[in-house]
Amino acid sequence: MAFDEHRVDLSGGPLTYRVAGEGPPVIHMHGASGFRETAALAALAGSFRIYAPVAPGFDDTPTHADLASMEALARLDAEFADAVIGETTDVVGHSFGGWRAAWYTVLHPERVGQLVLECPSGFREDGDGGLPSDAAELQRRLYAHPEKAPPETKPEPVLSRNRQTPAQFHGGKAMDEALVERLGEIEALTLILHGTRDGVVPASGARLLKSRIPRSFLIYVYDAAHAIEVDQPEFFVGLVTDFFARGEAFLVNPGVGGRAA
Amino acid sequence: MKFNYFHLMPWTDIEEVDQDWPVANKRFVPDRATALYETYIDTMVYAEECGFDWIGCNEHHFSPYGLMSNCNLIGTVLIQRTERARIAMFGNLVPLLNPIRVAEEYAMLDVMSGGRLIAGFMRGIPHEYVAYNVAPSESWERLEEASELILKAWTEPEPFGWEGKHYKYRAVSIWPRPIQQPHPPILMSASSPESARFAARHRAKMGMVMLTDLDAAKDCIRIYKETAREHGWEPALDDILIGAHTCVAEDDEEARRHLGGGLDYFYHVLFGGPRTAQRLVIQKTRFYEDEANRRNIGTRLAALRGTTIEERVDRGLVLCGTPDRVVEQIRHLKAELGHGVMNINMKIGNIPNAVVRRSMTLWGEHVAPAVRDL
Repeated sequence: MAFDEHRVDLSGGPLTYRVAGEGPPVIHMHGASGFRETAALAALAGSFRIYAPVAPGFDDTPTHADLASMEALARLDAEFADAVIGETTDVVGHSFGGWRAAWYTVLHPERVGQLVLECPSGFREDGDGGLPSDAAELQRRLYAHPEKAPPETKPEPVLSRNRQTPAQFHGGKAMDEALVERLGEIEALTLILHGTRDGVVPASGARLLKSRIPRSFLIYVYDAAHAIEVDQPEFFVGLVTDFFARGEAFLVNPGVGGRAA
Repeated sequence: MKFNYFHLMPWTDIEEVDQDWPVANKRFVPDRATALYETYIDTMVYAEECGFDWIGCNEHHFSPYGLMSNCNLIGTVLIQRTERARIAMFGNLVPLLNPIRVAEEYAMLDVMSGGRLIAGFMRGIPHEYVAYNVAPSESWERLEEASELILKAWTEPEPFGWEGKHYKYRAVSIWPRPIQQPHPPILMSASSPESARFAARHRAKMGMVMLTDLDAAKDCIRIYKETAREHGWEPALDDILIGAHTCVAEDDEEARRHLGGGLDYFYHVLFGGPRTAQRLVIQKTRFYEDEANRRNIGTRLAALRGTTIEERVDRGLVLCGTPDRVVEQIRHLKAELGHGVMNINMKIGNIPNAVVRRSMTLWGEHVAPAVRDL
């Protein structure tokens, strides 16, 4: 399912976003490499209407003046949601997008139904993990199955700029202490996904989130590295769809017929 | 050197060769089994008194050659009746079982024993896959995923779920957790190059429960050590366990007569049915992924069946004879293989229990003191 590109003018400037699918609205927040139309995201659009706002500066989009923190980005996301969607949505954030989604949920709880944090960065104890400059090592940390990764279509200047952009929001810090302090405020039912072979965000980060977010579930996705959507798309889609559909009842095995009761 | 006392708990009341799989249980006599379990458990408890450091349990299904279909049950009895010996599990056959259940039961054993568990993560031998209706070709990937899941269940302080190819759980938080931290030592089989590599990758102790060929054993140990180093760790002496069928007696001839008879009974009577299933699995599935390995295993097992007790003694594959002779044989093996743990199996086939007991006593009085410091 192809994503259409749109643009909306917000108070700080224009914001590019992608849309696909029909169903309950879900905001998807991309990782540090910008928006990627993965097979998993396309499959998710089979059940939901996916809105994917591109953080200003990524994918050759214009930056906004004074947009220099994760909190400011979350406020922009709220403005986007009000302008384009106009109702509470479920939210999925991957890596940098998970960090962004967590701030969005802390600052704008009324706009979030359920939250999925897929290998969120910003919770790297002692600076472990991260995105190395060596290309081979980066691939190893990102993918358990690099053969499943879609071919790169973005030109090198865009990729290069994407690599620089996250630091404009988070200043390059590995652990967002201010956010950690506020994780307890998240009331949304939250699913934390972590790849068992993730080389970018250590498992301690996922564990920290689980211990701080009151109504949260942590699931390890086996044989997946940081890019769970790429390594194990069926697991990812199945988990997210089931979580959004059944809420906390997704803990209960629905049986062969698909109904728990 | 450390020593493990291993017991298969065989059923010894049948005489005819049975090649069918599974072996019909119509000849099983429950009252007789009650007495056998009592004898066998007493024997295993006695091992501690005879100087054994570990007592080994195992898991086998649908066959008279081993009545221990759940090693954790026997382990529970042993920890109540022993004080210092480690309980080494040569089960659980992890790919066939619910890994969370394995994690829980091992944690219980570890806590109840005060931290004496050596946790086996075993793949099992071919016929077990027929018994539990699990595809043999999935054995490695099931073992890989289940092992990781069990370790996670033992070490994860927060409730977690697991989304995998073979196992899916939405919320896991086991009670109790193990007493040994970060987790009990892991023991894996390493009787082939591929299993030796697997054990080393998982930082497990390697076990060759039964020697079939000295050169093959050396090769597996070398592969295990090399793989361990590639993965950033150095195996300790007691990470390498080598097993031998053993009979200690007052004279060499008596020991050979008992061990030879027991081995004949084991291979030709007790193992007939399992061999049928084993042949099917090896021929028709990818249980052994590597073709050369598959051929080697088949050839080696067939050759072993036809080997006389004299040949086994001469080739250094068994420990058999007077205490002095057995001490020599252990020294020879140690010099050849450089291992730190010996797996001693004395109840081979239908060797009488009194003979086994005498063998253990001789071990405790004469053999153990002489080889302890090797």
